[in-house]
Formats: sequence, C-alpha cells, structure tokens
Amino acid sequence: MAVNAILRTIKQAIWVGWKVETNWADPLIFAIYYLIRPLAGLLIVGFIFIIGSAAGGAFSPEYFAFMFIGNSFFIYVVQIMITMSMLIHDDRAHYEVLKHIYLAPNSWSWYIIGRALNGVLNASISLILTLGFGVLIFQGLLGVSIQINWLAIDYSLLALSLILGIVCFIAMGFVLCGINIMTSKVQFMLTDYVSGILYLFGGVVFMPEILPNWGQAISNALPITYFLKTIRFSILHQTATASQMDLLYLVLTMIATIIVGALVFRIAEYKARKNGLIDKKEEY
Amino acid sequence: MFTSALLEEALKRKRLVKQMREQLIHNLRVTYARLWVRIKGSNREPEWIAAELVIPILTLSAYVYLYKMLNAPSEYAGFVIIGGTMIAFWVNVLWNMSAQFYWEKETGTLEAYLVAPISRMAILLGMALGGIVNTTLRAIVILVAGTIIFQAPLIVNEPFTALLLFFLTIIALYALGMLFASLFMLYGREAWHTASLLQEPVYFLSGSYFPVKMLPFFVQLVASLIPLTFGLDGIRRVVILGAGIADIWLDIIALVIFIAVLLPLAKFALNYMENLGKKEGRLTLRWQ
Repeated sequence: MAVNAILRTIKQAIWVGWKVETNWADPLIFAIYYLIRPLAGLLIVGFIFIIGSAAGGAFSPEYFAFMFIGNSFFIYVVQIMITMSMLIHDDRAHYEVLKHIYLAPNSWSWYIIGRALNGVLNASISLILTLGFGVLIFQGLLGVSIQINWLAIDYSLLALSLILGIVCFIAMGFVLCGINIMTSKVQFMLTDYVSGILYLFGGVVFMPEILPNWGQAISNALPITYFLKTIRFSILHQTATASQMDLLYLVLTMIATIIVGALVFRIAEYKARKNGLIDKKEEY
Repeated sequence: MFTSALLEEALKRKRLVKQMREQLIHNLRVTYARLWVRIKGSNREPEWIAAELVIPILTLSAYVYLYKMLNAPSEYAGFVIIGGTMIAFWVNVLWNMSAQFYWEKETGTLEAYLVAPISRMAILLGMALGGIVNTTLRAIVILVAGTIIFQAPLIVNEPFTALLLFFLTIIALYALGMLFASLFMLYGREAWHTASLLQEPVYFLSGSYFPVKMLPFFVQLVASLIPLTFGLDGIRRVVILGAGIADIWLDIIALVIFIAVLLPLAKFALNYMENLGKKEGRLTLRWQ
C-alpha cells in the first residue's frame, strides 16, 4: 500500500513537472526548445575542436568522439540541476503550492524525486535529439568522422552507468533543494555554479590530466568523472583504465553523494520548519 | 492685430518648448530612478556579484583548456577570454533587459509603470544604463582575471578604436534588448524558454569562442543578423591581433546600422505590444 502511494506521488510529480516545464506548449515547439540549447552547446565545442585541431596541426577522430559523448551526456547534469534548483523557489514563491505538498500525507522527498525524474525524462529526449542531430551535422554535413560503432555499444554497462549517474545527480540536486529551502537568493545561480564546476573538472570535453594537480584532485573526487568514464567505455571502449574500477569509484562517490544530499536536505528541512520557511513568500 | 498674433504664436512656442523641457527632465528622472534601482539591486547581494564573476570564468576556463589540449596557439585563449567577457553583456541583455517586463508583470510593478505618466522608453533606458554599468564592472574583472590566469597575449595598438567598438556593440545589444522586452512582456510564460533558446545559439552563432569566419557561409549569413558577431569580430581583431580602425571599419558601419534600425523598432514594438496587451487584457495577467 505504502509503495503504491509512493509510486502514485512520483507519477503525479512527473506529470506536474512535465506540464510546468513544457509550459503547456505544443510538443513540437517543446522538442525544438530541448534540442536547440544542447545542440548549440555541442556545436560550440565541436567547432572549437575542429578549429583548434586545425590550428594545432592534428585532428584526432578518437578524441572528437571522446568530446562528443562527454558533452552530449552532460545534458543529464544540466537538466537535473536546473529542475531541482528551481523547484523549491517555483513551488514556494511563484506557484505557492509548497506548503500543500509539505502537508500532504506522503513525504515531499518523493515528490521532489518525481520532479527530478521529469528532468531525467527531458534530458533523455534532449540527449537522443542531440546525438542524432550532432551526428547528422558533424558527420553528414561537415564530414567529420565520429568513430562510434552503434552496434558494438555495451548497452548493459551503459544502462547501469546511467542509473548510477542519475541517482548521483539527483542526490546532488537534493543538496541544491536544501540550500534553496534556507534561502531565496541563489536559485538562479546554483545550477550554473554546479554545472560550471562539473564541466570544468569532470573531464567532459578534455581529459582531466591537463588540469593542474589541484584540479586533478578535485576531478578525482567528483562522481561525474567516473560517470563519463564508464559511459565512454560502454560506447567507445577507449578509456585507459579498467571500467570495473571506474564503476566501483562511481558507486563509492554515489554513496557519498547520497549521504551528503540526505544530510543537507534533512537539516534544511528541520531548520525551515523551525524558522517558518516552508511557506515563506518572497519576490512574487 | 498682426503683432498680437505674432506674440501669441511666440508665447505658444515658448510654452511648448517649456513643456518639452519639463517632459525631458521628467523622463530623465525616470531613467535615473530605474538606473539607480538596477545598480542598487544588482549590487545588494554579494552572492550575486560572486556568481556573475566566477561562473563565466569556469566556462571559459573549460574552453581554454580544450584549446590547450589541441595545441592551438595562445591567441586562442585570448579569443575565448574576449568572448567570455562579451557574453556577460548578452546574458544581461537577455535576462535583465529582455525578460525584465515579464518579471515586472509577475511581481506586479508593470501595472505601476503603465499607469504612471512616463515614457516606457525612459524606463527601458534606465534599465539598459544600469545593466551596462553593472556588467561593465563585472566584464572588466572577467577580462583581467582571464588574461592573468591564462596569460593570454593582448596587443592593443589603438585603444580608442577598441573602446569605440565596445560602446557601439553595447548600444546595439541593449537596443536589441529593448526590442525583445516588449515581445517578452506580451508572450509571458514563454519568456523563460525564449531566453534559454536565445542564449547558447547566440554564443555559437556570434563566434563567442572561435573566429566566426571559420563557420560555413550560410551560418555566417545568419550570424550577421546578430550585433554581437560584428562587435566580437572587431574587438578581437583590435585587441588580440593589433588591428586598427582601417581594418575594422566594416564592423563599425554594421554596428551603426544595427543601432539606427533597432532603437526606433524598439519604440514601435513597445507601443504596438502595449496596445495589443491592453486590447487582449494580457498586460497584468500573472502566471501566464
């Protein structure tokens, strides 16, 4: 019974999230919105790569595929962070429904997870569209060789890496929710901070080995680094280290992130309840 | 009889001039008031200032490292830093200029603007000037920090040409922001997505992180509809490659044309959208 109630909450939250984030828009317009932004990001990096390689004197197709996959799968980070960073602010200050969600019999954590899963759904749509159009533009129009054998992908490893990574990013999102429960000043910048740090240190478009030592230390502590390594291994089979070790590190960093996320969120919830912040209305 | 008619005409003209002067002073006060709110509001929270400085550096650092990884010459780091600096203005134009009337509508202050006996353009001008002051201060920090961190070589032979290009680019960008403001005001809820939609594609098309001339011809054609493309091209050539006014006069002409077209268009669009909004009852509609 309890499981059914949780599943119902998650399902409703995904539906609400879908309605809010698609802005009740026409599905085609929505698809264009979710394609243009990540595709433009991929085009920027792709052209930097092509122009930089021409200036540097060597073009490496393997490295292009490395960048292509890293940048495409980074969509999950951006989308989950955007969804979870804005959620508390939107529901509390804009739509003024957070207090009702908090008062409902089920824990609001399940509602937040449901909303995050809607972000995952949107990111998956973006990913498929970006990969498709990316291959079409770079390989079809510009003649850049993208060395991906779509039939040789290790789909079980890919699915496992995706699940572990998504759990990890949702746990990070709970940290953002916790911060946003306590303050109404930072919701717009948190996504950019987290995405910016993960993009720079996570080995998304370049190998972390090029970073200074302190940067590499940060990179080694981030789950995104191992998430992208295992994703790349499953698709490209080209990473230097064994995928089992990366998978293990991904699991370990995921557990650490879940602990941090749960702690921050619970402390924030306790303090918010104590200080009357659950229905604190600001800005609107 | 003739003298008294002349006297009356002169008096009428004098009254009209006085009225116009009063109106101008009144609207300049409006501009100053909106500018003051923008500057005060944007500098009130240290977290916001830190974010506006740190986040662009994070992104541009990733691209500089990518160029380094590809063994590209060090000028490319300069390309990225200049692009990252100018992007700060585009972000400001999109979120704090174009989407501003949408925010004002959500918070209820748009109604106050519309009933006040003031020019809407004066409000937009105040917002633009405030945005320019704030973003210029942040852009300087991004430029200096980026140049020091990545030791990007800058060769400025004609600093006044660089400044001229910079100001023309900024005026053209904010004129575009003024034009967008009226569209965003009416199309409400879509503003968020529209601003998102315009952010990264403009980074790409304007060649924020690479020379735009390397793009395919038809993409360059689309890119030429964006003032930032010409601004970035000119500023980079002057600041990184040491070019002079004789090399970038085409960029200057393009920017002047943008300004001459966009400013009157913004005024027209604002009046049109306001009337349409009144007719359809959408000007004060929240959660749209």
